Amino acid sequence: MTKKNYISAALCLAVSIAIMISTSMNFLAAREVPMPEWGPSVTEVKMLSDWFDGLAGTNGDTPVYVLKGEKEGGAALVLGGTHANEPSGYMSAITFIETAVVEAGTIYVIPYTNHSAMTHNDPGEGNIQYFTINTQSGPRTFRFGSRATNPIDQWPDPDVYVHYPSNQQLSGSETRNINRGYPGRADGNLTERMAYGVAELIRAENVGITFDLHEASPEYPVINATVAHQDAMNIASEGCIELLLGGIDMSLEQSPTNFHGLTHRELGDYTDTMAILMETANASQGRLRGASSVEQVLGGLDRFYVINEDLGMLYVPFDESGHPIEERCGRHLQGVYEYISAYNNANPDDAILYSGVPGYAELFLMADPATLGGPHLGSYLK
Amino acid sequence: MITIIYRLIVVMVIALVGWNLFTEKKLTNQMNCAMVLIPLVLRALMIK
Repeated sequence: MTKKNYISAALCLAVSIAIMISTSMNFLAAREVPMPEWGPSVTEVKMLSDWFDGLAGTNGDTPVYVLKGEKEGGAALVLGGTHANEPSGYMSAITFIETAVVEAGTIYVIPYTNHSAMTHNDPGEGNIQYFTINTQSGPRTFRFGSRATNPIDQWPDPDVYVHYPSNQQLSGSETRNINRGYPGRADGNLTERMAYGVAELIRAENVGITFDLHEASPEYPVINATVAHQDAMNIASEGCIELLLGGIDMSLEQSPTNFHGLTHRELGDYTDTMAILMETANASQGRLRGASSVEQVLGGLDRFYVINEDLGMLYVPFDESGHPIEERCGRHLQGVYEYISAYNNANPDDAILYSGVPGYAELFLMADPATLGGPHLGSYLK
Repeated sequence: MITIIYRLIVVMVIALVGWNLFTEKKLTNQMNCAMVLIPLVLRALMIK
């Protein structure tokens, strides 16, 4: 070994360390998840570990925003960010927190249900890490995360994931998908404990109706759709009719009894809540999409989906105007409103009343098309 | 427990790669060692 070799080795090591520091800063910054601002009805922000202490001190613990009305009433729960790569889910929850004026009852909102999933991206997807929206207070940056729990927080994946308590078998990586982990268990892995925490909140607070806000790729059949537990089908049917009358194309299906681990199945089976899940069209999620970009995430634009629409490959209409975030959040927020209205009709003594949240018309139909793709949604955010 | 064992293995591999980095005579092999160290160190520190 010559002195020259030592010098070249030291130089290689120095470059390597510089790359390590640079990438470490990027990965560590992703663990700082931006939180919603307090809206007019937020009375306190608790942590999910307040209902299940098995999450305390873990990256699975997540803030729960409590929006309490002045009058007594029922309780509802809105879950955003079950899948952190489905931005209309958590952006709808954030919009709800920052705008809702609750008059009766209590609404719990969890913007990032799988908090750990917000702290990383799916390797190989080439997804964006952040997107910025101009809001009332200026530009605010939000995370774009992963479908599953960060493997730093839960490792290793088994070859086969066996769901508790059904013993359903799925591919190993689904062990980090919280929407395959319900009803969860207190002594399970981190994802199962997160799911258990949500179920404990529902049981402790007598939550009458629960929403799980999702997105799906345009080539996935369950899209622009509501899936409801059989106990919630009457309410979901009534709400769905109102959505259709309001010009929102929404299909409704009952939760399959043999597909386990999902909110609309297990929260309905293992708690007394009416479990409802909604899906919108996310151009940044599917296999037929082009390269990831902010325009794809916020504008819902993708030229390859336009081509695939012509080929008959999609389950939603898709043209050059895409499916902007305002349309997707508008669908979710209008859905929450109509299903809660139907719940109130069935449970007048436990009514949940709120106002101030922009719906489909305010967010999308009446918006200037030039402001769609982030700016118009941002005008409602603090 | 399995994570601790895994991290110990990663640290051992880092030590061996680091040793190779300074004993290799070819520059291309030294560069390979330096590149291999990056994901190993990030994993050992549980950063990624």
